[in-house]
Amino acid sequence: MGRLTVAFGAAVAGVLLAGTAPPPPATTPFSTTLPPYVQAYEPTTVDERGLWMEADEQERTLRDSALVMHEDDLNRYVKGVLCKAVGQERCRSVRVYVLEVPQFNASMSPNGTMRVWSGLLLRVQNEAELAAILGHEFAHFELRHGLRAFKQARSSTDVAAWVGLLGAAAGVSPAALQMSVIGGIYRFSRDQEAAADMLSLGYMANSPYPNAAAADVWRYVMGEDDARSISRGLKPKQAYSSGFFDTHPASLARATYLQEEAMRQPHPGDYGAKAYRDAMRPYLARFLAAQVKANDFGGSEYLLQKMSGVEGWTGDLLFARGQLYRSRGNPRDLATASQFFREAITQGYAEPVVYRELGLSLMRNGEQADGRTALQEYLTRSPDASDRGMINALVATK
Amino acid sequence: MKKVLLVLLAALAMQAPAVHANSLIAAGPTAKIAKSSIASSPDGEWNKLSFSGGPNVEVWTRDGDNLNKVSFFGGVAAGMPIYREANKKKAPLPKVDGAMLLPDIPLLLESTYRARFQVNRMAIDSQDVTTAGGRQAIRFTYSYVRDEDGVERKGEAIGTMVDKKLYLVTYEAPSIYYFGKDLEAYHKIVDSLKF
Amino acid sequence: MMYVRHFVRALLAGVLVLCSAQVVAQEKTGNKPGFSLKPGTVRIVLMRPTIRVGEQSTGGMNEPNADWTAQARENLGTALKDAQGQLGNVVVDYDEGTSSDGSVVGQYENLFGTVADSVIEFQFFPGNRLPTKKRKDTFEWGVGPGIAEISSLKNADYALFINTYDSYGSAGRKALQIFSAMAGVSVTSGVHWGHAGLVDLKTGELVWLNADRQMGGDVRTPEGAIKRVTQLLEGFPGRMAGVPVAVK
Repeated sequence: MGRLTVAFGAAVAGVLLAGTAPPPPATTPFSTTLPPYVQAYEPTTVDERGLWMEADEQERTLRDSALVMHEDDLNRYVKGVLCKAVGQERCRSVRVYVLEVPQFNASMSPNGTMRVWSGLLLRVQNEAELAAILGHEFAHFELRHGLRAFKQARSSTDVAAWVGLLGAAAGVSPAALQMSVIGGIYRFSRDQEAAADMLSLGYMANSPYPNAAAADVWRYVMGEDDARSISRGLKPKQAYSSGFFDTHPASLARATYLQEEAMRQPHPGDYGAKAYRDAMRPYLARFLAAQVKANDFGGSEYLLQKMSGVEGWTGDLLFARGQLYRSRGNPRDLATASQFFREAITQGYAEPVVYRELGLSLMRNGEQADGRTALQEYLTRSPDASDRGMINALVATK
Repeated sequence: MKKVLLVLLAALAMQAPAVHANSLIAAGPTAKIAKSSIASSPDGEWNKLSFSGGPNVEVWTRDGDNLNKVSFFGGVAAGMPIYREANKKKAPLPKVDGAMLLPDIPLLLESTYRARFQVNRMAIDSQDVTTAGGRQAIRFTYSYVRDEDGVERKGEAIGTMVDKKLYLVTYEAPSIYYFGKDLEAYHKIVDSLKF
Repeated sequence: MMYVRHFVRALLAGVLVLCSAQVVAQEKTGNKPGFSLKPGTVRIVLMRPTIRVGEQSTGGMNEPNADWTAQARENLGTALKDAQGQLGNVVVDYDEGTSSDGSVVGQYENLFGTVADSVIEFQFFPGNRLPTKKRKDTFEWGVGPGIAEISSLKNADYALFINTYDSYGSAGRKALQIFSAMAGVSVTSGVHWGHAGLVDLKTGELVWLNADRQMGGDVRTPEGAIKRVTQLLEGFPGRMAGVPVAVK
């Protein structure tokens, strides 16, 4: 099963098998000539067949899962980017599923099922970045890495693992999700990662996209993780080992190496930033709403700041930022949130709910009169709101 | 190595939830629910679970908490989460604010579920003001799916703030069959609720 | 269907029980009081089995293993096919056909798993029973009468659901087992659970459930799968007495 992995030279003690040495420099540059693609990839050995059946079974469950987004245009768009990345011949064997999970992830099964999480779509900025990630996943699939699963040996003196059990319950690791959603847990060897990286750089060289995009995404996700750590009082730039990084080891050294590799044979192209934004626009508010409700102030703020670098602070971003500050609710946050909601309105944010959020922020901040005015505006603009009973009561409060 | 093991196993035994029996809640007046001032008078039997998920939480069920669940949150203080955190630093939960407005209560519940229980699909379907225990409270309904079992669930809840502490009662069950089955029994609990 | 929370809760409870040296029955069958099934009288649909196979890390958490799950699925599928003919009534595989029932049937399958786990946790498992479920002849469980509306299930009288969950002990886990035995405490290595349940498709009632928390048979092998299926379908209602489930 393919898994989005960047097997950077292992910086993660006790999680990865490899030591702390940096990855070996490639002696040959990646090839811009792609190997001939074997159409209609059918399992050949007994093991492959079993895994194929299992992947089919999981796809059956996946298809009926409540998390799948069934919007046609979104699925067609994501598939379209994959096809531009790896070529029509290759992408024909892939079925893309977009799952509404607000974390960064993508994976591919041996039978051609590709899963892309909405959190990934929110975080990439353009088609080239999306293409780089999907291409990397497809490379694992083309190289049949999933069938040569690498099992991680755990040390029997791993005291931390035992202690971890005591507080286990339900954590936030994607590993706890049902296998049909997550797509299985494999960690690839460093050689497999290097091979997948090289092949996907080859795809990019044959695509309309520039090479450099991949390194940008890795740097971003590490930066977001650092921001999250800092805001939680943890040290940043530690072993990236929890959550997403359980199965996607990363290090700064590797991101740099990947970039250098790409620069050896630069392939300019169109990043497809505008096309990407246009395609995501109908879903942006929905994806942002899930993100800001995840109780991750540091990571969300980092993400919003990054997104604001693209088109500036749009109404959608300001609204999301307001919600973020309102839910954190530290002393100055409510005033800040009110300001963001007002700016969103100025920027043309048209949903009535912005008045609701503004009103609640103002009321929490002790600005009763202005708060009631905003809430009344919400009720006027949204007379059938499902919470009109509750909001009416607040407006009527003396 | 052996010494470390013994210490660990002792720690394991101490930290594991005590396996004392779940107990019966008979119909009639019941006080000190969730070790708090919450009282109610259910009109039928319920089972109280020995495991609740937090120091201020009490859980009642008829068929098991994944099939029907009434949760009482008895006076969660400002700065506290409504459930025990699995890891305070790596997986923190949202905290109660003493000055919370009633519409902030469903938001707190949703954020807690999204962070704690791998809930990726959740919607607050309705919010109304109501009276419970003689106080103004919010009554809200919601629907969600926990990735853990993929079952679609519905919820209905009543929440209010008393002396800057959160009091909340929720009823949750799978949408298919179970939510409707004990909804009336839950309403009877709410009708006789005191905070 | 097993999931992390129940597994951890039950594992911790199980460890404590073992620590206090109680003997806990691990296998249990329940049925609706008075329920019986005459051979050759009804049509049973076998829903797609939920099969999970993985490996325990040293800390006891399960790591799903797709290779093993794939092998298990194939082996159990074969064993079930053989067993179907021995159950005394016609058993057919569920076929969605041209209906678009996939999503709602999936919901019922998920719900069944949740119900079965609840029966096991709160009625079968002695340490954790609900007081209202302890009473004699109490077995009131189901998925509700709405299941009768599903078109792709209308041609059958009962639905048979099968779930198995295996987490094989890793080397580290086994080491822990040895050391803890030296310390005089039991810790389990390897978890092998399964259950089989029969649902009345007109009323949604769970009329029979067989659960076992120490299942035998290594599902990664054909022989082990046969043993597993035999255990799962032990006491299946309506089976002619003396006829073994599997023949090999």
